[in-house]
Amino acid sequence: MPVDAADPRFARQRALAGFGPEAQQRLAEARVVVIGAGGLGSAVLPLLAAAGVGAIEVWDDDTVEASNLHRQTLHSPADVGRPKAESALDALTRLAPDTELVAHVARFAPKVALDAVLDADLLVDASDDPTTRYLANDIAAVRGIPLVWGNAIGWAGQVGVAWDARGVDYRDLFPEPDPAADSCETQGVLPSVCGVIGAAMASEALKVLTGSGEPLVGRALLYDARTGGTREVAYRRDPDAPRVGSVDDLTAEKEPDRSRIVEPAELRALLDGDAPPMLLDVRHPHEFSFAHLEGATLIPLDDLPSRIDELDREAPIVVYCHHGMRSGRALDLMTRAGFTRAKHLNGGIDRWAREVDPALPRY
Amino acid sequence: MTVARSIEVRYFAAAADAAGREEETIALPAAATVGGLRAALLERYGAPMERALRTGSFLVDGVVSRDDARPLGDRVDVLPPFAGG
Repeated sequence: MPVDAADPRFARQRALAGFGPEAQQRLAEARVVVIGAGGLGSAVLPLLAAAGVGAIEVWDDDTVEASNLHRQTLHSPADVGRPKAESALDALTRLAPDTELVAHVARFAPKVALDAVLDADLLVDASDDPTTRYLANDIAAVRGIPLVWGNAIGWAGQVGVAWDARGVDYRDLFPEPDPAADSCETQGVLPSVCGVIGAAMASEALKVLTGSGEPLVGRALLYDARTGGTREVAYRRDPDAPRVGSVDDLTAEKEPDRSRIVEPAELRALLDGDAPPMLLDVRHPHEFSFAHLEGATLIPLDDLPSRIDELDREAPIVVYCHHGMRSGRALDLMTRAGFTRAKHLNGGIDRWAREVDPALPRY
Repeated sequence: MTVARSIEVRYFAAAADAAGREEETIALPAAATVGGLRAALLERYGAPMERALRTGSFLVDGVVSRDDARPLGDRVDVLPPFAGG
């Protein structure tokens, strides 16, 4: 049964000045795609469902872990080990049995993203992944729909609306992804920051969908829980920012450069062979103390430029980090500095732990 | 004599941590560029600011400016990249 905009559940929204029954009807007819059912998703998804959005699709390829539960309140201890998208769907169904809800236990990736937003009125990126952020931004721009985005890490968070058709998108704030960005896996996060930012994202989504208020287009809102203060950064079109040229550009599968990477199983064989490569860990010291590959040398990525001469440019070296982003950046640095036999570990220590050494603790 | 001008600089997130403040006014030569401000900030605040600036954005009067040769405006926002969800 489709969402009925006249349902008593929505009485306080219909009574809201600047909103009214017309806005409620627009929500009932809206289709929203939300990437991420984690910390931000746990705040934004229930608000959108309970407000009477007609259709919500959730994308998440992750499973619920115990360390998620303090902030990812869509999930409960009994959900640990379940796909987040499915667990989220159960919670949302209880809130909004009349909303058309779809769970995709899959990564929002280039191959599927374009079709995923085909009928969507709005894309919401509640993921914690920079690669996904730029993909979501570019897909929304190509499809001509707005993107509501948010971030939460440590004690602070940010929220904004990227809307190419209205003059600005995420690349006008940050032209390109930052491969060295920290994640809340390594930094920690105050759970209520996810609530504040996720709720602000829901406000932006409801405004954009109903045409009410003034969405955060060309303004990013920053919140710092340490002071309880908010600040705003105004920004305009950056004429030099890289833009996606076409739908084909966006969906082209990027073939990894095999000469640069080593797969976990391949590395195991190399380490067991006659000429094992040197292992270079470019993560933060606290990550290294938590778990590292046996015999690895630690030089955090930030220190690599000043310490690069400690390394032998002719030696076989395998660089690794947590997931393979920072190590790729380290390898770029090393290649420019004249290293000829260096490679990096595809998928980082996390994939190594999953595929080669299950005894190694993951984080 | 070099004519100085005042630039209102606002720091965000890790850049604010590095500077120990959220904003300040910095005097630079009248012809100062983005690169000149970058150098001045590194001199004042050292390695933590270097990390914040490496992949962050300078917004000169609201427009991202990656070209160090670009002239400065009246206000510059120093914004490290966002992450986390």
